[in-house]
Amino acid sequence: MHYRRPGLDRLSHALLVLCCLLFLLPVWLAFTASTHTPGELYSQTAPLWFGEAGWDNYRHLLDGSVGGLGTDVLTLLINSTLMALGIAIGKIAISVLAAYAIVFFAFPCRRLCFWLIFITLMLPVEVRILPTFEVVADLGLLDSYAGLILPLIASATATFLLRQFYLTIPPELVEAARIDGAGPWRFLRDILLPLSKTNLAALFVIMFLYGWNQYLWPLLITNDADYLTIVVSLKRLLTSADGLVPWQDVTATAVLAMLPPIAVILLMQRYFVKGLVDSEK
Amino acid sequence: MATLRLNGIRKRYPNGITALHDIDLDVVDGELIVVVGPSGCGKSTLLRTLAGLEAISDGELTINGRRVNELEPAERDIAMVFQNYALYPHMSVAGNMGYALKNRGMPKDEIRRRVAATAELLGLSELLERRPRQLSGGQRQRVAMGRAIVREPQVFLFDEPLSNLDAKLRVQMRLEIRRLQKRLGVTSVYVTHDQVEAMTLADRLVVMNAGRVEQCGTPMALYEQPATLFVASFLGSPAMNFLPVTVHRDGVVLPNGTQLALALPVAMPEGRVTNLGVRPEHLVEAASRPDTAAVLDVTVEMLEPLGADMLAYTRLSGLEEWLVVRLDGAHAAHEGQRLSLTFSLADCHVFDADGRRVSMTEGAAAKAQACQ
Repeated sequence: MHYRRPGLDRLSHALLVLCCLLFLLPVWLAFTASTHTPGELYSQTAPLWFGEAGWDNYRHLLDGSVGGLGTDVLTLLINSTLMALGIAIGKIAISVLAAYAIVFFAFPCRRLCFWLIFITLMLPVEVRILPTFEVVADLGLLDSYAGLILPLIASATATFLLRQFYLTIPPELVEAARIDGAGPWRFLRDILLPLSKTNLAALFVIMFLYGWNQYLWPLLITNDADYLTIVVSLKRLLTSADGLVPWQDVTATAVLAMLPPIAVILLMQRYFVKGLVDSEK
Repeated sequence: MATLRLNGIRKRYPNGITALHDIDLDVVDGELIVVVGPSGCGKSTLLRTLAGLEAISDGELTINGRRVNELEPAERDIAMVFQNYALYPHMSVAGNMGYALKNRGMPKDEIRRRVAATAELLGLSELLERRPRQLSGGQRQRVAMGRAIVREPQVFLFDEPLSNLDAKLRVQMRLEIRRLQKRLGVTSVYVTHDQVEAMTLADRLVVMNAGRVEQCGTPMALYEQPATLFVASFLGSPAMNFLPVTVHRDGVVLPNGTQLALALPVAMPEGRVTNLGVRPEHLVEAASRPDTAAVLDVTVEMLEPLGADMLAYTRLSGLEEWLVVRLDGAHAAHEGQRLSLTFSLADCHVFDADGRRVSMTEGAAAKAQACQ
């Protein structure tokens, strides 16, 4: 919609800028706070501008073990990235196959299978967390990457979204591929996956963020500092033993924790914006 | 080069609906068979069973004498052109055309050579790197053809390939398909609901209705000697006119009581109700045939000038349907005008109450039976 009213344009821009600033404010505060010494942070209210200690604060986080955590932030970032990647890739792989089976293959109880998957949408991680913990503990997966990733790897949401997309694929395309001699795997690899590229990119971003932001599950199954994730560590830093919260560490870790998700979004954005601009259909 | 033989092909769906009833058809090498019929007559189902996309419930399908009922589509050595083209949107034109060859494990050089040769044949050489969405409707159609041709299959199957094109392009592509098919000499089955397309393309025409073959033969044989009322009404545009008449001692009686002194070609008992079919071009003004005994007095209700011809939609009292007459384009008729029309007995078709032709010559009768 475009109205020929300059005043309206200016007003809506002003509103947009204001909202952006409101969203950016906490991030900005965290970033500026991470560049001050603990002393400065305790002697004044949240600083709006950079301090002198930024370099030292960040080097301290990356160099050695951070107070109370027993590990350095680089390990935390790697752990979180591995977990988020594992969850995102695993979810997509499983959902692609599940949706493929449900849409393109006629087998008994196909609808039942779909509904069973669909119903699990209504069960958040928290509801089934005790039995899941029991299973994972029995399998000896506590304090391991497999334990962090596997229980979260199935996704009803992604299966559902991919199913909806697959249903829009014209049946003639499937038939043409069949006549062209493409078996089920070839069809999946040569036709279905390339066609769902943009959907997969969007799903990857969503699932990566979902994995990255996991808190309760990693908190529950990891005791070993080597498997600690960065989101869990933030909370742990806030309850440090000697009473004074090291705000410069907390804010700097938070800033670092934002970087990988931003990188993923920027990277994937190229794909799905491209997909939106030159639609393949 | 291939022959295709359908022997009692039947298709029954699990829900009990029978889409095809005992279809028999012999397609000789290099022949272009057009299957035509209204929507829902089973013509597409027939094509899909030939392709292997639908299982055959009963009967036998052979290509070159080899039974193919149980084979996968890719193993039947057929190629199909779809109504909406079904091009792979993410592949280039070359990729689309070469995909089947790639799946067969053909070496890359050989694929490139064959795709280039086919593209040359179809005038697609400049477009090989384009994506389907960058092509016009006619070009997409041509790529779909190319994808079929490049495989050098035994049989081409066309599923209403021209119905997504505009009228002008349709005529052009129709000629092109005809030319290509003759040049390549590949046995083809072509499904359409457009009777003009059917008449112009076919070596032999198969008219289907409600899952059965109504009649089979050359386009002109079907046009001139339709075996049933259905075929008579389906072929020809505008459609044949039908006059429900009652057989009388000296000829026939029209619904409005007018007597026509016609000697029907077949002796029929008096009082029998039959249908008299006359094509619009066979109705002429009575003034030009002073010797005629069958005169229909009609009123012109609507005129459709087509340039060379003028179609007059006229009303004959006692008849619900319009009587359509093809007049000369320069005819000075106007709406509301009264016309006296006549026709010669040789041009009229007589059908009995259940729609079968009764005035059939022996030769045509034999041909109509012989789809085999």
